[in-house]
Amino acid sequence: MVEYAPRADVPRGAADFSRGTRLVKAKYILLVAIVAGCVWALWPPSQQEAGIQQGGRPEDPVKAARPYQIRMAPALYLPGTMPQNVGEPLKGLVRVAERFEELYPDTYVRFVGTPGVREWLVTQLSAGLAPDILNVNVEDVWQDVHKGWYVPLDEYLDRPNPFVPAGQPGSRQWWDLFKYQAITRGKAAPDGKSYCISFDMVETGIFYNKDIFERLSLAPPKDWVEFDRLQTTLREAGYIPTLASLVAASDWGVDLVFDQLYYPILPGIDLKKDPAREAYLEGYLDWDEICFLYRKGFFTRRDPRWVEMWRILKDWRRHWNQDIATADMMRLFITQKGAMYWSASWDVNRLTRDPDVPFRWGVFYPPPIPPQYDAYADGHPMCVIGGAAMQYVVTNTAFSDTGDPATSERLKRAVAFLQFLTLPENAGPVISEVLSMLPNVRGVEPHEELRPFDEILRRRYTTTKWSYTFDMRFNEVFIRMFDLYLNGGIDDDAYLDWSDRNLDFAVETTVRRKNVDFAELERAWEALAPLRRNMKGLPDAAK
Amino acid sequence: MPRSRLEDATRHLGCYGLLAPTFVLVGVFSLIPFVWAFTTSFYRYEIGGDPTFVGLSNYGEYLSDPTLGISFRNLAFLTAFSVIVSVVFPLGVAKLIFSLSSARARYIYRIVFLVPIVVPGVATLMIWGGMIYGDNGLVNESLRLLGLEHLARGWLSSPETVLWAVAFIGFPFAGGINILIYYAGLAAIPESVHEAAQLDGASGLGKFFRIDLPLVLSQIKLLVILTVIGAVQGFQGMFILTRGGPGFESMVPGLWMYFNAFSFQRMGYACAMGVILFLIILVLTVLNLKYFKSAEDVKAAT
Repeated sequence: MVEYAPRADVPRGAADFSRGTRLVKAKYILLVAIVAGCVWALWPPSQQEAGIQQGGRPEDPVKAARPYQIRMAPALYLPGTMPQNVGEPLKGLVRVAERFEELYPDTYVRFVGTPGVREWLVTQLSAGLAPDILNVNVEDVWQDVHKGWYVPLDEYLDRPNPFVPAGQPGSRQWWDLFKYQAITRGKAAPDGKSYCISFDMVETGIFYNKDIFERLSLAPPKDWVEFDRLQTTLREAGYIPTLASLVAASDWGVDLVFDQLYYPILPGIDLKKDPAREAYLEGYLDWDEICFLYRKGFFTRRDPRWVEMWRILKDWRRHWNQDIATADMMRLFITQKGAMYWSASWDVNRLTRDPDVPFRWGVFYPPPIPPQYDAYADGHPMCVIGGAAMQYVVTNTAFSDTGDPATSERLKRAVAFLQFLTLPENAGPVISEVLSMLPNVRGVEPHEELRPFDEILRRRYTTTKWSYTFDMRFNEVFIRMFDLYLNGGIDDDAYLDWSDRNLDFAVETTVRRKNVDFAELERAWEALAPLRRNMKGLPDAAK
Repeated sequence: MPRSRLEDATRHLGCYGLLAPTFVLVGVFSLIPFVWAFTTSFYRYEIGGDPTFVGLSNYGEYLSDPTLGISFRNLAFLTAFSVIVSVVFPLGVAKLIFSLSSARARYIYRIVFLVPIVVPGVATLMIWGGMIYGDNGLVNESLRLLGLEHLARGWLSSPETVLWAVAFIGFPFAGGINILIYYAGLAAIPESVHEAAQLDGASGLGKFFRIDLPLVLSQIKLLVILTVIGAVQGFQGMFILTRGGPGFESMVPGLWMYFNAFSFQRMGYACAMGVILFLIILVLTVLNLKYFKSAEDVKAAT
């Protein structure tokens, strides 16, 4: 038996450790050292070291004490961020804000990121906590205009932009400063007021791999028949002919094909001539006209063009990638599994600046549908379906200092900042930091790589934008069922049933919410009867 | 002389004081919202707009909602699937762990099966959505490796596979707290019962089905209730992975309620759906409590 005896070299009362205890202690010390080392190695660099700072400028305590604090959520141009993880952190808006603050020493402009989801938007706006200036899609704005969450900007747009020198565009009316007038003015809400500034434009197009096209002796198609043949050739060569997403198909595809089939009969169904907008929108069918026409049998299974539109889109689907909902289309294009990619100007940034893109690429626009492909088409060029990208609205937060837009000083500064931002010397550098969008300001030219989209944007604007016509419930149901239809989940009949029911509900809701008076539209309908007499393929109720 | 009620109340004032914060919190965050939701279900109401009284029309509209049939069919399938896997697999694992002879091994296995619960549910869903079901995820890449490329697909975007793909998230369903609940149940069975069973010749599966299973019925009952409530109320998995699509192929009532409330701003309609879901959960829970026997019922019967 081993007896314990105190060690002679250890003073009585002091701790005495056996060898095992010391080892255990050493083990813990080592463990702590490893954890500490890992924490040190993984500690994120300071924002300055990383070169990225959300909002792009450090908090300035002096400016933070100024009486007017403007918060702006600029989305794509948020300083400090790197869109698509290429290029340098953005700084353009910070420089604009600093120049603005020199003109307004009582104002401080902050830039913030937002989640960009509707739930966030609704709760922030209803609580009066949203940023003063915010990028919001126009369809969201239209749904809520009657709640007083957004400030109508017409009185500012109709007056001169105070920062524009005399004689320059914008010195008479702020409106004149914008380049793409049809799209910009087309953003007016159903109540006739404009709630947003269209800062820049996005346009769609089909990116194609020039190397693959050259190898197979192919060229961009001139019409839909050639386009179909081209895609068949690409498939036979082992490529996915067209990379397309559900969003592209449900938003852009529907509007493009709709315009191809309905534009020829537009003179007989365009019921409303709004003198303020007609010059720019050339017969655009508004939501109340769509509601009226629906009740006349258009856009139902009794309308041959409507049925044909879905058939054409379904037929095109066979040339697309298998998974249109979740597949990484850009990856498939860059790895050259797909030969064409139906996307928009926002991808120019990645394709231009990403060193891993190993091929030459070009852009063309979907070609027209000729009469030999579809009897209801007349072969006119495809219309523009892109539009405003960053749509800056001024929210109810901007007049929270007095609660009244008429007396609010803060609101004046928020609007002044937008007016200042849209000057060519300010908008140009901000927009050109990202190779994604086309400047909507006169005097600012787009980047060379974006020129093809600029040319596309000069075309005639679409006959209607279905995603802007009704409410979000309609869009949600429509996209879901269209997805199912394209993927073979339901047949033509079942899909048309869903479409009819969805439109029934949407039209009924719209008529109720907006107190639509059909009497005037009915008179216009009667007046256009002679024009419709010779038109073929109208629903029975419309003849 | 009997104490007056006032004296009683005064004597227990401290206890009431300690309970009060809990009652206040439950009232503010659970009961008042429920009453508010019930009231709102009789109105047409948008956030930021004025409410209009519409009586029972929200309830009537839901009965003709095009998503009603498919969403309840999906809910029934997913609930039944969840109940089965949450009862069967954890019980099997708990029994296997409990049967280990080494106490240290039992401890280690319990820890190993428990650790995954520290991973947030959203992260788990993202892992399944991207790394497992993704276009270049584990399932599709494995199929390609085996030369079965024609079977590769968007598992969450295909109408044929989406519901099964969602149901199989969490496979092999053997992690989490359910194992511990069963383990505690198995550990609570007196050793004398096992010894008596052995003397009577029971062993292996026979012993499991005749002894263990009846004596963990209380745990099964608890887990069935929790799983049913979770399945009926829960929609986060669908929201993150499929948003109920493609079409409405993976829609569940809770998710459609969410869309109506926060996307379409149809608050009154969403509240009516919420009240209906509450009634369904209530009925299922009452049925479960009334007709599903617990271990105590079994003991009392024998």
